[in-house]
Amino acid sequence: MKKILPYLSVVLLLMTFTGFAQQKYITKNGEINFEASVPSFEEVKAKNSTVSAILNADTGEFASLALIQGFRFKVALMEEHFNENYMESSQYPKAIVKGTLEGFSMDGLSESTTEYSFKGTITVHGESQPLETIVTMAMIDGNVEMNSSFILKPEDFNIKIPSIVSNKIADEVTVTAIYTLSEK
Amino acid sequence: MKKKSVFMIVTLVLVVGAYSGYRYLYKDHRNIAEEDAVFTGTAQQIQERFAQGEGDGLLNQTVIVSGTVSQVEEGSVTLDEKVQSVFAQMPSVSEGAQVTVKGRCIGYDDLFEVVKLDQSQLTTQ
Repeated sequence: MKKILPYLSVVLLLMTFTGFAQQKYITKNGEINFEASVPSFEEVKAKNSTVSAILNADTGEFASLALIQGFRFKVALMEEHFNENYMESSQYPKAIVKGTLEGFSMDGLSESTTEYSFKGTITVHGESQPLETIVTMAMIDGNVEMNSSFILKPEDFNIKIPSIVSNKIADEVTVTAIYTLSEK
Repeated sequence: MKKKSVFMIVTLVLVVGAYSGYRYLYKDHRNIAEEDAVFTGTAQQIQERFAQGEGDGLLNQTVIVSGTVSQVEEGSVTLDEKVQSVFAQMPSVSEGAQVTVKGRCIGYDDLFEVVKLDQSQLTTQ
């Protein structure tokens, strides 16, 4: 018994290490664009190119975090209103997506794009909603390229748009996400 | 004569009003480079502040952070694995260099436990 114990502890230790040795792909420079423009009015469009994301290549679990202050608009006043009045970014500084790519496996990735369905939740303005979308993925130069586009409605996230500007902002916001994830 | 001066005044008010309205709607973005920093310190210090949940006062504020470059990526530099600084114009720096950056603090990223800055530039201060 005495002799077995050290072996057992070594085996257990090795098992915990393999548990940690999951393959992860990460980025800190992902890009999210959104547009809520209405034709013939001022363009309502912003871009955030400091979005973080992690993909667990073994399980297909994916998480992404965007800082609301990181969204840049062409018009400074629009950016100010976006932060102060609509997103209330001092109170809710981040938007988070968490979920799983269904049926994901690293072996399925190649230079040509493969589609996966993503199921998870999105949290914006402190409100969580289910999110289902199609993600196109490809493996290019050892990096995982991920692209997705989906539509969000401000009202689902308790974001109130005053009636005076509501005809200048679309009810449906088109969000596009682009990630180039490299192995950690 | 009186009619004419009233007309002149009304026109002037309209022009000034339209101009200031335009200036308000289409004002320039902030110039972070010229703003005074509300925080000056090391990457470690600012990260700890956010990790302890006391960083809210720094959101959207201009900060000056110094540290050692731990990672160089396209468009951004990470200091001591604690602060990611995004540059509009990427300077030529290499890993291991001791630098000081001035930028706008946009918040704390819990995924990687880094504080993010944008509109950064290298500074000698």
